[in-house]
Amino acid sequence: MANSLTIRNVEAGYGSVRVLYGVSMDVNDGETVVLLGSNGNGKSTLIKCITGIVQPSGGEILLSVDGQQVNLIGKSPEEIVDLGIALVPEGRRLFPALSVEENLMLGAYRKAARARIEENLEFVYTAFPRLRERAGQLAGSMSGGEQQMVAVARALMSEPRVLLVDEPSVGLAPILVSRMIAKIKELKDERNLTVLMAEQNFNQAIKIADRGYIIVHGHIEFEGESADALRNNEMIREYYLGA
Amino acid sequence: MSIDPSLLMNAVAAGILLGGFYAAVALGLSITFGQLDVVNIAHPAFIVAGSYLVFALNGGFGLDPVLAGIILMPVFFVVGVLVYRVYYAAFERTGRESLAGLAFFFGLMFIIEVLFILAYGVDYRLVETDYIGKQIEIGLLGIPWRMLVPFCAAVVMTGGVYLFLSKTFLGRAILAVSQDRLALQLMGADPIKIKQIAFGLGIATAALAGALLIMIGPVEPTIGRLYIGRIFAIVVLGGMGSIPGTLIAAIILGLAESLVATYIGPSWAPTVAFGILLLTLAFRPSGLLGRQA
Ligand SMILES: Nc1ncnc2c1ncn2[C@@H]1O[C@H](COP(=O)(O)OP(=O)(O)O)[C@@H](O)[C@H]1O
Ligand SMILES: [Mg+2]
Repeated sequence: MANSLTIRNVEAGYGSVRVLYGVSMDVNDGETVVLLGSNGNGKSTLIKCITGIVQPSGGEILLSVDGQQVNLIGKSPEEIVDLGIALVPEGRRLFPALSVEENLMLGAYRKAARARIEENLEFVYTAFPRLRERAGQLAGSMSGGEQQMVAVARALMSEPRVLLVDEPSVGLAPILVSRMIAKIKELKDERNLTVLMAEQNFNQAIKIADRGYIIVHGHIEFEGESADALRNNEMIREYYLGA
Repeated sequence: MSIDPSLLMNAVAAGILLGGFYAAVALGLSITFGQLDVVNIAHPAFIVAGSYLVFALNGGFGLDPVLAGIILMPVFFVVGVLVYRVYYAAFERTGRESLAGLAFFFGLMFIIEVLFILAYGVDYRLVETDYIGKQIEIGLLGIPWRMLVPFCAAVVMTGGVYLFLSKTFLGRAILAVSQDRLALQLMGADPIKIKQIAFGLGIATAALAGALLIMIGPVEPTIGRLYIGRIFAIVVLGGMGSIPGTLIAAIILGLAESLVATYIGPSWAPTVAFGILLLTLAFRPSGLLGRQA
C-alpha cells in the first residue's frame, strides 16, 4: 500500500526565531527524496516538525500509511513513530550505556514491531555484520561509523514504512559516507521504504536521490524532479560545487 | 590477636545474610536514583512504612511477613507512581529538581515518619512467626531463620527486577530513559510514563524490604534514617543502577559491617558505609559494575 508524506506551507521556529517559511514538499511512495542545504538552513527543523519534536506554527503534514491518512501536526513523537515513521536522528542519539543489541531491541519498542523482532534483528545483523560481532558492546564505545550503523539498524527495527534520515554523513570519513549512503539505498530497496534524507553533502546524497529539494534560509529554493535536474541546476552548481 | 575460626565463620555468614537484606533495601534506590536520577532520600521511610503495614497485617490477620510484603507491593507501586507524578509536575518538568526535589523527598520522609509516630508511637514493634527465633546449626555455624528468609527473599526480588529490566521492552526503556529522553520518544515510548512505572517499581520493592526489615529486628518510625547512608553507598559502589552491582555491593557492605562489628566493635559498624562511599568516590567513581561508555 502507498506510503507518502505531504508537507504544505509549514512554518516553524524556536521562540521568536523563525526558521521555516512556508515549506512544502512531497515524498511519494517508494521514493528517496533528498533535502539539501548547507548548515543552519532548517533541514533538521523540518525533520523535527515531521516527527513531532518541534510543533509547527502553521501548515500541514499529512502521512499516508497502509491506506490511512493522518495529520501529524499536534501529535507527540511517540504517537508519530507508532504510525510507522522512523527517524535516524542527527548525531545518532544512541543510548550510550546500553549495548548494541539493547539499542536494537529498543528500536522494536512499538507494538507493531514486536511481533517481527527476530526476523528484523536477523535482517539488520545481516545488513551490518559488524553489529552482530559487536552485539554486546556498549554503543557509546563504538566508532562513529559503527554508531551510525546502529542508528540506522535501530530505526529499521521499528518496521517503518517511512524512514527519515538526518545527515548520516556527519562526522564520518569520506569512504564511510559513500558506504553508508549506498547502504541506505540498498536497505530502502529491500524493505520497500519511502525515504526522506536531509544532507549537506550534495555529491553523496545525489547518488541515491530520485528527487530533491534545496532549502535556503528556511525557503525551498529549488525542486529537482530528478537527480540530473539537481546536478545540472545553475544555482546548485554555484552554491555547492563552486562552478 | 588469635583468630577463632568459628567466630570468623559466623561473622562471614552473618555478613553475607545481612548483605542480601541490604540489597533488598537498596534495590529501589538503585532504580529511582541509579536509573532515574531522582534523589529519593525518602526511600528508607517507605521501607519503614512497609514494615508497619506488614506489622499490621501480621498482627491483624496472622499473615506471614514475607507474604504480607508481597501483597503490599502493588499498593506501593501505585503510591510510587503518584509520588513521581507530583514530583514531575512540581519540580522535574520545570528543571528545578536538584534542590527543591531534595527538599520534597526530605519532607516526604518527615511526613511518613510523623504519620507512623502518630499511629503507633515511638516504641519498637516486631512481627511474629513460628520460624523467627529459630536457627539452623551446621557444626559451629548458626544461621538464624530471621536472617536467612530475608536473604532468600531479597535475592529472589533482586533477580526478578534484574530479569524485568534486562529482558522486557518496558525494562529496557527504563534503562534507557535517563540516557536520552528524546531518543526514547523516537522509539515510540513516552518517557514520563516510563519514569512513573520505574518509580512505582522502586517504591514497590520498599514494601517487601520493609517486611524483611521488621523480620530482622524491631522497628520504630525513624529507623529508616540508619539506612540512608548505607543505600546510597551501595548504589554508588554497585555502579549507579546496575542491579547485579547493587547485590554485590550490598553483600560487600554487609560483610564489612559484620567483620567490623565482630572484630572492632558494633558501634563502628555504621561508619563502614561512609568509608565505602568515600573510597568508591575516590578510586572508582563509576562503581563496580557501572556502565559508562
Ligand atoms: N533548539 C534550537 N533553538 C534555537 N534555535 C535553533 C535550535 N535548533 C536550531 N536552531 C536554529 O534554527 C536554524 C536552522 O537549524 P537546523 O534546522 O538545525 O538547520 P540544519 O539542519 O539545516 O543545519 C539555525 O539558525 C539554528 O541556529
Ligand atoms: Mg541539521
